Amino acid sequence: MTVYTQNGNGLLIPGVCGQGMHLGLDGFRLIYVCIAVFMWAVSGVFSGEYMAHYEKRGRYYRFFWATFAATVGVFLSADLYTTFIFFEIMSFTSYVWVAFDEKKESLKAAQTYLAIAVIGGMVMLMGLFLLYDQFGTLEMDALGPLAGDVLARGPGAERLRLYTAGGLLLFGFGAKAGCFPLHIWLPRAHPAAPAPASALLSGILTKAGVFGIIYVSCILFAGDKAWGELIAGLGFATMFIGALLALFSTNLKRTLACSSISQIGFILAGISTAVLLENEGLGNALAVHGAFLHMISHSLIKLVLFLCAGVVYMNLHELEFNAIRGFGRGKPALLFCFLMGALGIAGIPLWNGYISKTLLHEGIVEYTAAIGAAGLWKWSEGLFLLSGGMTVAYMLKLFVMLFVDRNPERQREFDAMTASYMKMPARAALIAAAVPLPALGALPHLTMDRLAAMGAGFFGLSEYGHAVSYFSLENLKGGLITVGIGAALYLGVVRTFMIKKEAGGPVYVDRWPSWLDLEYAVYRPALTLLTAVCAVLCRAMDHLADGVIVLARRTTHSQLPEPATHKEGNWLAHFFGSLADGSVFLWDKLTGRMELYGKRRTAVSRLLNKEVRIKYIGRLVEESFSFGLMLFCIGLCATLGYLLWVLVA
Amino acid sequence: MNNMILAVPVLLPVIGGGSILFSERRSRGGRRLLSPERFAGCLVLLNSLIVAAILLIPGARGEGLVLFRLFANLTVMFRIDRMGSVFAGLVAFLWPLATLYSFEYMKHENRKDTFFAFYVMTYGITMGIAFAGNLTTLYLFYEMLTLVTFPLVLFPLSREAVRASRTYLYFSIGGAAFAFIGLVFVMSFSVTGTTAFQPGGMLNPETAAGSRDILLFVYVLAFFGFGVKAAVFPCHVWLPRATVAPTPVTALLHAVAVVKSGAFAILRFTYFNYGAGFVRGSWAQWVIMAAALATILFGSTMAVREVHWKRRLAYSTISNLSYILFGAALMTPFGLAASLSHLTAHAFMKICSFFCAGAVMHQTGKTYIYELDGLGRRMPVTFACLLTASLSLMGIPLFAGFISKWNLCRAAFLYGDQYADGPGGWLVYAGVAVILYSALMTGIYMFSVLIRAYTPVHEGQAQEDPAQTASDPGWMMLVPLLIFAAVILLIGLHSGPLMGLLTAIGGEAG
Repeated sequence: MTVYTQNGNGLLIPGVCGQGMHLGLDGFRLIYVCIAVFMWAVSGVFSGEYMAHYEKRGRYYRFFWATFAATVGVFLSADLYTTFIFFEIMSFTSYVWVAFDEKKESLKAAQTYLAIAVIGGMVMLMGLFLLYDQFGTLEMDALGPLAGDVLARGPGAERLRLYTAGGLLLFGFGAKAGCFPLHIWLPRAHPAAPAPASALLSGILTKAGVFGIIYVSCILFAGDKAWGELIAGLGFATMFIGALLALFSTNLKRTLACSSISQIGFILAGISTAVLLENEGLGNALAVHGAFLHMISHSLIKLVLFLCAGVVYMNLHELEFNAIRGFGRGKPALLFCFLMGALGIAGIPLWNGYISKTLLHEGIVEYTAAIGAAGLWKWSEGLFLLSGGMTVAYMLKLFVMLFVDRNPERQREFDAMTASYMKMPARAALIAAAVPLPALGALPHLTMDRLAAMGAGFFGLSEYGHAVSYFSLENLKGGLITVGIGAALYLGVVRTFMIKKEAGGPVYVDRWPSWLDLEYAVYRPALTLLTAVCAVLCRAMDHLADGVIVLARRTTHSQLPEPATHKEGNWLAHFFGSLADGSVFLWDKLTGRMELYGKRRTAVSRLLNKEVRIKYIGRLVEESFSFGLMLFCIGLCATLGYLLWVLVA
Repeated sequence: MNNMILAVPVLLPVIGGGSILFSERRSRGGRRLLSPERFAGCLVLLNSLIVAAILLIPGARGEGLVLFRLFANLTVMFRIDRMGSVFAGLVAFLWPLATLYSFEYMKHENRKDTFFAFYVMTYGITMGIAFAGNLTTLYLFYEMLTLVTFPLVLFPLSREAVRASRTYLYFSIGGAAFAFIGLVFVMSFSVTGTTAFQPGGMLNPETAAGSRDILLFVYVLAFFGFGVKAAVFPCHVWLPRATVAPTPVTALLHAVAVVKSGAFAILRFTYFNYGAGFVRGSWAQWVIMAAALATILFGSTMAVREVHWKRRLAYSTISNLSYILFGAALMTPFGLAASLSHLTAHAFMKICSFFCAGAVMHQTGKTYIYELDGLGRRMPVTFACLLTASLSLMGIPLFAGFISKWNLCRAAFLYGDQYADGPGGWLVYAGVAVILYSALMTGIYMFSVLIRAYTPVHEGQAQEDPAQTASDPGWMMLVPLLIFAAVILLIGLHSGPLMGLLTAIGGEAG
């Protein structure tokens, strides 16, 4: 019995979990496993101080490392079955992170997280079945050419099946990635988890979902126009909505979580342009590199930003802007780290975000030019720059709130914390996480380009493409426009609309209408309605069996002794009366109104009364003289009619 | 045909259990040599060892054993083939563990000898069903199963127990009447003149082809007849009510022995009497598939709405049994293999869940879901086993439930590929969607219990609650739980040998 086999293609462990596991390694996977190791290491060191005041540390660390194992398993998988297995495990072990502090809001957020994870998993499983059935294999390398064949030459029914399978997989992976309409769990789940865990949730677990989307888009549906446009629509929507939510938020971690949604949107937009450029026959190297580098940049940036949020929380146990404002004043280490992250995500030249955003921008521009700015694509560049500007705006909002504002009540207390707020291991970890960001950004050709070249193989890219001069005037212009839009948004929208001048000083206000919540307005009511309808139907079906038996017992199979009052009367009245009684009883049971049982008058007695009355009236009529005369007249009329008929006919 | 050893696992428990009933009660100072529990436990263990010997020693099972002749060709006979050995092995593994559990559970009850007597007798009868070599024997032991489990359901002697046992009896006897019609038709239309099981069916092709519609109608009747024990939709009513019985009864009988006997009987009747080829593609197949799917939907949805824990698990059983019946309704070799895999996996998952519920009831007396807050901390081992069973029921990879769900859905898709879709072909794909919907509902109703158990008690709850002093039960109840959880994990991780055996069974019979 082979326990495992190793060949050029990776590690195959047959027989485990039914179909066996297949793990593989290539540039992309190697880079992401290294990033996972780095992020877990930094978070782990940081957790030492962060978790010091929590009780259930053992549980935290157990699930911390379990999620690490599962996430690395997802990234190393070379077979969609293996991906699914590790994906499910990852969802369940990270649930514990979200539910960790067991407060009511955390448990609710965890409930949403688990529901989305489970539903996404089931839908993904359905997609896997369809794929397996159509192609007979789930090996990632093998599926690409097979799917390409079907898309190019297959009959309509086969292509429809492939699209359905792809759509289901997109649902499953997109739910984890936080893609538009399934992003509802992110804004609540990431703040609920402890900060080091939030960093990992945002930075790398979402990328596990993106990993799947990349595979489906760039390998399965390589060069497919319809698919590319679908991803583009979702990507741009996610990009914009995430940024909008982040701009309006007044909670530190919630802002960062919504920012993650937005950055995932950027990555999806990059993937879509990669697919569409290939469809147009142009080289998509730029878009591919942009998407990949933005994934890496975002992982590293979110690590830093969430750990900074963790620093704030572990000292203040607060995350609302009005409570934490001014905390960062006079804390150079925190300032440095936060600034690195903020500049990175905003796409300022010389930081890593700028490199990846430039590439994404170029990809979008190239595609829009190739199709002659047709349809909605003429707005795409504008939307991209606007979302970038909003990113700058909300990071500026955070920066000003933390490091420039003064806290009306507690500023003195904050200023006193300069030495004690972050001990050495955590400080070292945070700075170690922050330093790569400018390093990558300042030396793009040495670092980022090489990383992109290593990782691009996973996207199906074989040729390299031309080298990009990142600091050329064209590209710098894009960056500066973004900054300009951001500054304008901040001064024009945030400072005027979201900050209210109150008696004690300016206060941050959450202007987002509370009813505008996709989860509570749409998803939960729909799910509740579905289960309620099903439950009513099922309960009716359940009582139907009983009801039929009761109906029979009361009518045709009636064994109950007749009550003494019904001695006289016609059998018809009894029969119809008990039939009516039984039907009414059944109706009451079906609609659940059993409290009326016993309070209704039986139909039998009513019918008997009617029958007595009918008989009485009948007797009256029959015994009267006018009745006889009437009969005589009817007879005469009948005779007359007959004679006329005989004569005429 | 006279391999006498085959009668031993059937008759030994019946006679031994009966002897507990008739043994003299020595009261007033006399002490019995062997208490009913110990005797029952030894008997069950001995019987399982004998069964293990029969199954594992090659050649021990021989050609079969004819117990007696009814008339002409009709005999009551035992013969173990591979499918029977799977069921027999499963039952033989589970019964001693369940008896061990019931020692502690029933420690403080009266009338223990009645309980253990019938518990042991049920073991023998279930073995009879597993060993049955023809439909007559299966039917005989099927009826006897009803009679011998009836006192167990009646055991608490409360009003609900009386009503539940009456419902159980009426439904079972009614169902057996319909099954009898099936028995008669199989006998009349068989090739051999007997009702012996033959992989691939034993109907006479010429005569059967002539009366195909009648035979299909009788098939549907017999399906619902045997389906009473397998809790198919209209005939499921007795199962939630039967949860008033003590937990060892509900768990073993109503999650493993009785209901699996029903499913086993349907599988035997379909694949070994009628033959899958006869029913496949006909209207009868769509009818039974629709009934199975309706039951899955019904069971899962009602379980979400139910607040009594054991009744919730009963609805879950109803739903899961129809997974097995859905696999059976596919009428393909892999369909049979998939339904047998779910039969095995579900037995372990459900018995583990019921035993956890029983452990909680035994330690704290709580039976409703909303009373379980915080118990997960106080009874960690119990709830860890419940977590394993729940993840498995949901179909999460690494656990047995995933293997069987994957196989069922695979079988459904393979059916869609191999056979041109008839008028009801879409039912097969609807079946996959229904199974996934049911998995979601399973997640909801199993996880709501677990989340309640693991979240802490909210402030303001009464502190003199017995839940505060609850702890894990003794080793006699914990060891079976741990063994079941370990088996669930084992099947989930390494299902190769089991699936190989089941696929071979499916291949010869489908």
